[in-house]
Amino acid sequence: MSVDIYKINPEFRDIMPQEIIDLEDNATWAGESVEKRGINDLTDKKEILEEHSLCAGCPEAAALRYILAALPLPEETIIVNSTGCTSLMFPHIALHTVHSMFGNQNAVASGIKRTLDWRFPDKTKDVVVLAGDGATIDIGLDYTLQSFFRQEKITTICFDNEVYANTGGQESGSTPKGQVFKMAPKGKVFDKVPMWELAVTSGCQYSVKLTASAPKKVAKVLREAVLIARELGPTYIHLYTPCILEIGLAANEGLWEMKEQDKDRFADFKYVSPEAEAYLKECKKEGLL
Amino acid sequence: MSIKNMTEEKNWSGQKLVSTDYLLFEAPREKHFMTGSEVLKEAIKRCTVDASVSYPITPQSEAAHLIGELWAEGYVGLYFRGENEFGVMSEVQGCAMAGARTVTTTSGPGTLRAMENFPTWSGTRIPCQLVLMARGINSPLTIQPDNLEVSFLLETGCMIWYAENVQELFDMSIAAFTVAEKPDVHVPIITAVDGFFVSHTRESVMLPADDIALHPYDPYASPLPPIDSEMPPGRFLRDPFVMKSNYISYATHASWQWEVRSAVERSKPYARHYLQGLVHTTGDEDAEIVFVACGTATHQAKEAHRELAKLGIKSKVVKLRTIRPFPHQELLEATKNAKYIFVPEFNIVGWLDKEVTQSLYGKTEAKIVGRPRVAGGMSMPAEAILREVFENTNVKGA
Amino acid sequence: MAKDSIKIRMPALGGQGAVTAAHIAATAADTVGYFAVSNPFFGAEKRMAPSESYTRIGTVPIYDRGEVIYPDIVMIYHPQVITMGKSYTMPFYAGIKENGLVIINSDTDLLTEVDRNYLESINVKVLTRDFTKFAIDIAGTELATNMAMLGALFGALGTIDKPAIEEGIKDRFLKKYTASGGTATLDSVIEKKFKKKMDLIEKNLETASAAYDLTAAWAKEVDLAPILLPVSDVETA
Repeated sequence: MSVDIYKINPEFRDIMPQEIIDLEDNATWAGESVEKRGINDLTDKKEILEEHSLCAGCPEAAALRYILAALPLPEETIIVNSTGCTSLMFPHIALHTVHSMFGNQNAVASGIKRTLDWRFPDKTKDVVVLAGDGATIDIGLDYTLQSFFRQEKITTICFDNEVYANTGGQESGSTPKGQVFKMAPKGKVFDKVPMWELAVTSGCQYSVKLTASAPKKVAKVLREAVLIARELGPTYIHLYTPCILEIGLAANEGLWEMKEQDKDRFADFKYVSPEAEAYLKECKKEGLL
Repeated sequence: MSIKNMTEEKNWSGQKLVSTDYLLFEAPREKHFMTGSEVLKEAIKRCTVDASVSYPITPQSEAAHLIGELWAEGYVGLYFRGENEFGVMSEVQGCAMAGARTVTTTSGPGTLRAMENFPTWSGTRIPCQLVLMARGINSPLTIQPDNLEVSFLLETGCMIWYAENVQELFDMSIAAFTVAEKPDVHVPIITAVDGFFVSHTRESVMLPADDIALHPYDPYASPLPPIDSEMPPGRFLRDPFVMKSNYISYATHASWQWEVRSAVERSKPYARHYLQGLVHTTGDEDAEIVFVACGTATHQAKEAHRELAKLGIKSKVVKLRTIRPFPHQELLEATKNAKYIFVPEFNIVGWLDKEVTQSLYGKTEAKIVGRPRVAGGMSMPAEAILREVFENTNVKGA
Repeated sequence: MAKDSIKIRMPALGGQGAVTAAHIAATAADTVGYFAVSNPFFGAEKRMAPSESYTRIGTVPIYDRGEVIYPDIVMIYHPQVITMGKSYTMPFYAGIKENGLVIINSDTDLLTEVDRNYLESINVKVLTRDFTKFAIDIAGTELATNMAMLGALFGALGTIDKPAIEEGIKDRFLKKYTASGGTATLDSVIEKKFKKKMDLIEKNLETASAAYDLTAAWAKEVDLAPILLPVSDVETA
């Protein structure tokens, strides 16, 4: 439809708290050029995400803000998420979001995307999956990969904090080998699952591994991934958002940890299929990037 | 094929749009001879269905293939094979949330694999239809008809209807969409039949012409906004509000579960109309011997009734057509003259016997006998029912 | 005494077309105005493994579903059903009712003394013929054995005529029909064999027709009492 659905009903405007009015008046998505949305809006645009219910200093909260700021078409974007720390943030977002169950997020997203393509053949509707490493790689691996095999036109973002954080710090498939967590009291015995590589062999048009240390980089990757998914097929972003609580860091040490890992487990990995490469060039010409 | 081809009068495949009443009760019908799987295709063909997701499992595979053919023929908007039943039911949820009239089919182990989805379906108030072709549950491995799996579905918050034969499967699966989509109901519906006994059995059936179909689903008449970015987002349900631990969220969750069950109850007047009653009775109205059953067990009880009639013994068959909502009032009325109530079932646990016993507790003097129960795929010949009657009553058989 | 409804059990081997035959039998009965139902045994049937199907025909509505435990007629499609016990019920005539009928496709008599005595004691008539050879002679393929069996059934019943069988066969082969993978493959083998569909139907009909005449004559010879009430007795709503 349009951004109008996010506007306050004029009949109620006089009783609305100023905070809510600010959300609308100061929004980035209305009118003017959508291409200009971006990281620069973070400092003063309330609708991006003012509050969250995660731990103080949690890098996930920052990463989600980067993503929301960079969505190319937020008013036509649906985010499907899963159980875990990420699910705590979604009640605060003014987009259409779905909390699936645990692990089936890519299956739910497949149904939504296909139906929207059927119901709105002339419109662009973006579907983005955002889930943690447990949901994406362990319990939901089948549904994640199968959606890649089927070439579903959705963007899948894994917020990898290398642990089951919401349930109290258990080992996940994404935990590095040797790490001692609950349920791995002697240390994890197998390697971190290279999900970004599985994404490539499973048919993703685009697969990137990075940390959330550099906001502009996250925004660029997100925008590329959504644009490619729209036209070509599945895209995958593997984003390090450390659980500072479980690895014993202070609230102000998340960024430092991500910068450390930029050089280590989360050193750059980027795959772009030849078709996606060509498409990105076109997008640049058209000013979409 | 495109949804853009739809007009006020016709759907995207060119079928004339008609009311459910016309399709079910008024349109002229012709006799056909087909299986339950084939008849489900005929029903779905006339329902202007947007989406279907499939997965192979005996005995529902044929029905799922045939819905795929409808997609290839341009009647169904979108169709694909999912990765397994848990995935399929999640994909169905996605389709229905995004505003599609959605149907899927499953059986036995597939039902259990998908289990977590069903209460999620009802909690999200999607009006999708699952056609369940009941089959046994492992272990040991079985593919035979046995409806134990239905007992697992009873408290999922989904409506459950039970069709007796090929004809009822046709009529019920059309009525199912209509009732499930009523704004004051708007919960998922499970249309159950006994696998093989209906899915693979070929019999005569009366069908209206196939150039007419139901009006499309209107997702904007839903109690919750569809997830399509066309409406202001619904903040309260499809998000995990319970993750905010406080008394408001507890109360919301509890009251929402009540609301789902109330919605199921609110389907009763609609179901009474479209199913022409929540129970159907055949036989002698004042009989002291009453068989209460659903699905194929009703058929077997009717054979027993006929044999008893030949011996001069009166009996009556009460067929329950809705299990959720449970037709308490109708059951009580239909059994008021009963001295003996038999509940023949195709499962080992007697879930229908438990339902009937609980419903009639303190309200009937009749002796309730939860037998015969056959399971694992065995047939239930009338002879088996008659034996229970002769053993448990004072009537004399030949 | 002729009955208002009869149950027919057809033990066969996978690939012989017993499910198709049961389907055509029910369609033919339905065509002339009987109530009729057919279904396969509910298993994962494989080629040459036991496979069973059922037809129920009556002048009254038929409610009974599932496998036939107490049949009026048993049709054995392959000698191995008896000789190797490729059957879901042992002995092959288990549950058969009084005054019933057994049709066996075999070139030799397979009944033991015990079988014969028991079946005689309940007045069950047995017809043993090599219907496979019959199919090869007339249709040129053993794949038409099921058609011979079908014709044999209706010849013995005498209440469903040849035009109805023709209707049943046409319905099965001319309409788009739902079949399992194995059946669909066999269908295409048969179709290739006959090149043209009408050719296939023609040969199948000839086979069924000849078998019909054969059992009709046999029924007279052994003085087989009518098993099923005529269609004129069908209850009208």
